[in-house]
Amino acid sequence: MADHAVQIENVGKRYADHVAVRDLTLHIPKGSVYGLLGPNGAGKTTTIRMILNIIAPDQGAIRIFGTPSSDARITDRIGYLPEERGLYRKMQVRRILRFLAELKGVPAKVADVRITEWLERLELKTAEKDWGLSKIDELSRGMKQKVQFIGTLLHDPDLVILDEPFSGLDPINAQALKDTIMDLRHNGKTVIFSTHLMDNAERICDSVCIIARGEKVLDGSITDIKQSHGTRNIALSLDGGATNGVSEILADRKLVSRVDDSNRYFEIEMAPGANSQELLRRIVATGAPVQRFELVQASLHQIFLERVGASGVEMGMTGHG
Amino acid sequence: MAKLWAIIKREYLERVRTRWFIFATVFGPVFLGSLIIIPAYMAKGRTSSNEFTNAIILDATTSGIGQRVADAMSVGRPPGSAAPNVRVVAPAELSQAESTSTHLVMNKQASGYLVLTDQTLKGEELHYAGRNATSITDMERLRSTVKETIISQRLEKEGVKPARLKELTFMPLRLNAERITDKGRGGSGTVSIIFAGVVAFLLYMSIVLYGQNVLRGVLEEKTTRVAEVVVSSVPAETLLAGKVLGVGAVGLTQQVIWVVTTLFMIKLRAPILAGLGIPVTPFELPQISPWLALLLLLFFVFGFTFYASLYAAVGSSVNTEQEAQQAMQPLLILLVATAVFINPILLNPTSRMATVMSILPFSAPIIMPLRLALGSVPWYELAGSLVSLALSCIVAVWLAARIYRVGLLMYGKRPTLREMGRWVRYAH
Repeated sequence: MADHAVQIENVGKRYADHVAVRDLTLHIPKGSVYGLLGPNGAGKTTTIRMILNIIAPDQGAIRIFGTPSSDARITDRIGYLPEERGLYRKMQVRRILRFLAELKGVPAKVADVRITEWLERLELKTAEKDWGLSKIDELSRGMKQKVQFIGTLLHDPDLVILDEPFSGLDPINAQALKDTIMDLRHNGKTVIFSTHLMDNAERICDSVCIIARGEKVLDGSITDIKQSHGTRNIALSLDGGATNGVSEILADRKLVSRVDDSNRYFEIEMAPGANSQELLRRIVATGAPVQRFELVQASLHQIFLERVGASGVEMGMTGHG
Repeated sequence: MAKLWAIIKREYLERVRTRWFIFATVFGPVFLGSLIIIPAYMAKGRTSSNEFTNAIILDATTSGIGQRVADAMSVGRPPGSAAPNVRVVAPAELSQAESTSTHLVMNKQASGYLVLTDQTLKGEELHYAGRNATSITDMERLRSTVKETIISQRLEKEGVKPARLKELTFMPLRLNAERITDKGRGGSGTVSIIFAGVVAFLLYMSIVLYGQNVLRGVLEEKTTRVAEVVVSSVPAETLLAGKVLGVGAVGLTQQVIWVVTTLFMIKLRAPILAGLGIPVTPFELPQISPWLALLLLLFFVFGFTFYASLYAAVGSSVNTEQEAQQAMQPLLILLVATAVFINPILLNPTSRMATVMSILPFSAPIIMPLRLALGSVPWYELAGSLVSLALSCIVAVWLAARIYRVGLLMYGKRPTLREMGRWVRYAH
């Protein structure tokens, strides 16, 4: 189908002692930003590696822009940023970028022009200093990440795959990355990225897929997913945090089935059949200073917790970075 | 092909640009050149008497042989240096004189002492103690000086005139050994032994050095995770091929530079020695036919590919430099075991051991070129060696590619041999 950048049909991958991906089917729309969400060990990286034809699936088929992923020519249209970043440490920045471009079939001369453009755009080449002539070893961590990012996009790929792109980025670089992803989308490119950070995914993605233990838990556009989870949730803000009285009410399982306590902000999932107005009345009755009480759609974060379950989350959400 | 070329280019240029490469490439010929010139320079002006000028001669005979030996040892002595000190002692006092002399040597007042007894005159025994007693050349020179002196004295007793003595006993007698092969007389034996030794050593060294270089390159790509970026653009096999070819080309470049500059320096040797005022002894170059050169190149290419792919497989299966040191031991043992046999095979190139080691793929790339450089090898042995090496090369590359492809993306525990066997069987 022409309107899909990536079609994954019934793909499975098994290693000696465990199943990494089980019967996975995904359709990633062309021109969209697609989030691949899931705890560590869920099969995200294996899925990405299969899309890139670094490893072959045991079963099923993957097509990229209608072409089988095993076709050598299709790799030139894909840009890939792996989770663990690395570059040849002793190599000059310009030479390494030229090398990466040549691996994607870009002639050295064309690459040189683009490298200069990118270095200037990401402020690695300024009037005082041209970092392009430095060795990778001499660069700061943030600069290395920029170089790697340039390497991913130098050949102007139609499909960009970013494995955990936000991990280890400071807020400024994270913002720059977000802007670049939006730019790519405006230029009609397809972006797939995997992440643990639900807030990022919710804001940036058109569609997402949540996978856990090698299987798809749910997928679809953000709008559809949130609508299907209804508006049983309540956003509550209290000035000065919860008092004992409020905590008691929130612990009442007849009224509230789940609370995400972020000190002054609470995301509350109502128990089935419970009345939100009664909850408001009881909270006000304790004299707690309510700043906000609003019926909202469940956040992606809540949906993730609900669908993947605490066990999967514990593995994935601790120590991500 | 363009992508393979990009990888070869990177592997080659990044290595050739390093300081280490430039140093080794320049230093090699300088080192070899100094080996040619310095010994000749050191030998200049040196005479046989130098090491013994300050020696003590204890003459326990009554024949006056002590003074004659001292005179013979003083021939060509640098002006101003002390002549050997002759002391005539009675046989009964000899042991006392020896311990006194020992103390003098210990206090650096003498370099050593020579004991001449009646047994010496009979041509049976000679005793020397000194600081240079371990020098084979010094001791051999001392022995022949004393021997010649005794012969002269005996001849004199038989009535030969002292003036005739020198004519009769002096003879430099140089041995010119020439080798005969199946094809007839084949130049100087020494030259081809040196040449064959150099060929074998160069092959051994470049396989060890550049094989480990491949391993380190693979390990770097794995630990820095560059490998994942590269294999998302090209198949792992292309990366492996590009690496082996690129590094091999670096080794070949270095050898060509070494050989060419060494030949050039040998050409320059005569004028340099003449300029330093050193007598020029003829220096014969081995005859290298284009056919031999081609064969040597072929063995290098096969041998390097064989070992480098195995080194790459090892590099992809480990995670750290320490693990790599351990895991490459078996390969290193194969290479060192081969190197150990270089010397015996140089001396006996047609032995059964030589024949067997030219067929075994792990030793063939070093032993067969050595035998080729020494002289002719039966065509069927050459063909057998090449076929065996080529087949093993194909197997090694195939095995390495399969281990490499899986190992490159596997982190954590070092795989067991059984796990690596499973990697080989993976479809992709």
